[in-house]
Amino acid sequence: MDQQMISGFAPAPVAARMENHGASMLKVAMQSGQDLFARTGSMVAYEGFVQYEPNPPAVRQMASQWLTGEGAPLMRCSGDGLLYLADYGANVVCINLNGDALSVNGTNLLAFDAHLQWGVERVKGIAKFAGQGLFNVGVSGTGWVALTSRGTPIVVDCGRGEDETYVDPDALVAWSSGLKVKGKRSFKASSLIGRGSGEAYQLGFSGQGFVVVQPSEDSTDRLRARG
Amino acid sequence: MAREFQRGHKARISDLTAGRDLYVGVQIAGPGLTFDISCFGLDANERLSDDRYFIFFNQPKSPEEAIQQLGPQAGDTDSFRVTLDSVPSAIQKLSFTATIDGAGQMSQVGPGYLRIVAGGEEVARYSFTGSEFSTERAVMLGDFYLKDVWRFAAVGQGFDGGLDALLKNFGGEVAEEEPAPAPAQGATPGFAPPGQAAPAPGFAPPAGAPAPAAPPAPAPPAPQPAPAFGAPQGPPQGTPPQGTPPPGTPQGSPPQGVQPPAPGTPQMHGAPTIAAPIAPPGQVPPPGQVPPPGQVPPPGQVPPPPPPGQFPGRQPPFGQQPGQAPPAPAPYGQPPVQPYPGQPGQPGQPAPYGQPQPMGGVPQGGGAPGLQAALAKYREAPTGQRWTPQNPRLMRVDLGVGGQPVLARQGTMVLYQGKVDFSYKGAGFRGRIVGNATGQEMQLMRCTGQGQVFLAENAAELHPIELQGDAICVSAENVLAFDESLHHEVRRIEGHGIPGGALFTMQFQGTGTVVVKTEGTPVVLPVTPTTFADSNAIVAWSAGAQVIISSQVRLRRSAYPGHSGETVNLQFRGAPGNFIVVQPYEV
Repeated sequence: MDQQMISGFAPAPVAARMENHGASMLKVAMQSGQDLFARTGSMVAYEGFVQYEPNPPAVRQMASQWLTGEGAPLMRCSGDGLLYLADYGANVVCINLNGDALSVNGTNLLAFDAHLQWGVERVKGIAKFAGQGLFNVGVSGTGWVALTSRGTPIVVDCGRGEDETYVDPDALVAWSSGLKVKGKRSFKASSLIGRGSGEAYQLGFSGQGFVVVQPSEDSTDRLRARG
Repeated sequence: MAREFQRGHKARISDLTAGRDLYVGVQIAGPGLTFDISCFGLDANERLSDDRYFIFFNQPKSPEEAIQQLGPQAGDTDSFRVTLDSVPSAIQKLSFTATIDGAGQMSQVGPGYLRIVAGGEEVARYSFTGSEFSTERAVMLGDFYLKDVWRFAAVGQGFDGGLDALLKNFGGEVAEEEPAPAPAQGATPGFAPPGQAAPAPGFAPPAGAPAPAAPPAPAPPAPQPAPAFGAPQGPPQGTPPQGTPPPGTPQGSPPQGVQPPAPGTPQMHGAPTIAAPIAPPGQVPPPGQVPPPGQVPPPGQVPPPPPPGQFPGRQPPFGQQPGQAPPAPAPYGQPPVQPYPGQPGQPGQPAPYGQPQPMGGVPQGGGAPGLQAALAKYREAPTGQRWTPQNPRLMRVDLGVGGQPVLARQGTMVLYQGKVDFSYKGAGFRGRIVGNATGQEMQLMRCTGQGQVFLAENAAELHPIELQGDAICVSAENVLAFDESLHHEVRRIEGHGIPGGALFTMQFQGTGTVVVKTEGTPVVLPVTPTTFADSNAIVAWSAGAQVIISSQVRLRRSAYPGHSGETVNLQFRGAPGNFIVVQPYEV
């Protein structure tokens, strides 16, 4: 077989704990002692000896309120090897946190180092649908986090001037902790923004920080939908 | 998507990729030709002032490992890894060159390329063919150079004289005694026995620098200059049975000892030219290969081969890391990258993850840490323009510029800043568009006020089309947003077989911008007498083109149920200059 055509897709040398392989695959260099939390079902390949523990006890407690008590869609990965993660072709952004704090939409979180501080946050002031409030995972510390985004995301600075920044919750990926968040509901019957229901919600952010937004209003959790 | 470079093109590397750890692959081949691919690290005067930055098969990495030669892999004749952040400041330019080894000239070269890969994605490619060259024997393919920031230039400049001319160009000196080594080498298929290395290391003397007097000042401990040819070099701490290296011979000098360099004439290129015929540079001997006869037992074989996966002397903190190379046979992933004792191609070594990766352990580096650094490449890119594509799938409208309201498809707003009011676009328009309740809904909203609105929908690609008095027809489904100043009207193309009974298009005319969304990268075709398009895939066409419905009834039913076997095509007619846009997605 002529491997010329496909050999260019061989993995690049490992240079960091988390790296992109192409736009939509994440490559994690696993080492025993450095565990990783990843979304259940996001593993597409691995080399080496990597073990997976879905819904580990530590997570169960932390994320008891993740959704409706189904448990957190996270698995703990441990071992030595190379782990490849992906979420249905969504773009992957890996971030090396250096003492920063980030709040990530639950469905846009792909993986993070187990030694980071994290917790499930409920975004107040907004209840999208019954039983499906906007849940976020706050991550902070020093380590790696990988997010997914449908399409290349954009990072917008808040706090420019007086105006708040309003985001469609379906397109929201993450924001820097420290921003003030409030839900905004458009009461004008005529302003039908947002998807579907005819109810228009936006999240208003104020303060110093940034918001990460994806160019798609598809917020379905594909990893979960698969069952 | 890889950006194609032509000869002479330049670009900032930060524009190509946010990565600072780059893989550079060169593919060059020609019938009967062998090539030496090397990288010259040049100073601000474009001189090779430090020969430790002449990276070639015999010195496969720079002292701080910013530049490493990886050997042939992934379809590339040779490859390098460049970590821009660790390139010392004295090095201002990295020039990648290919030289023909032996007879031949560059015009015989087939199609080749130099490409840059970052993070598993090819970000740039400079393709060339032999027809661009004539009698040259060396060619500078491309440069990384530091001008405020690191940039890449596709050079493609040939040199008649081969490596000599190249070295002279870089201020290197060429030794005269080149022919001498050849016979010596020819005799022993292995490489010059270490014993022969007596007087001096093979290539140590700095080329550009004034040549040192007779016993060359050891090139500042070129750390383990890496046995390029499989014979694992002795570990630094080992006691290699390497004859008796005379004092002054750097321990790390390769056992290549080609010739005692004539004092004052640094011998730079002798090695590449002679060694290559014996074994293609940078090629790893297959696992289990016995050192060729005549080769002095390489120092590295003194310690018994450690069990697989164990690397004495350099144990990564948590066991080795899977390396970059696929497992066992390790056809690429050249051992010299990091000559661990006993590491490369041990006979029968299963090498579960290929070699440990060069830096050992999981590097926690990889670009500047921190949230801001990681997200910098996704930053909003404000311009003074009214319509600014932020990325191929996201459009930013600054309502303050021009002051005109914008009409956008409902639900496409993902973010806004400022005082922007969204209101429903009147029903009169809607009535016209929804027309006969075919399910073709097109609900618009009007964005007014002061501020910036970011529009996107389902990660579809967005294309702003700026109209300056001309007209275009866009399939209604593919309209994302447009300036209200444009005159627009809805047209209906009826045809039997079109889903929903008719195709709705919007014709825009005037001065302003229409944003069209496509699923995937569209194709723009000129309208010729025989231009057809699927009514489901058509995105837009210039208003001068006339549309004709042409149905084709196929006799054979399509394989899947629910398909009538009848397809409706739109045929376009128009004067030259008209075009149609088709997307690779049939709605």
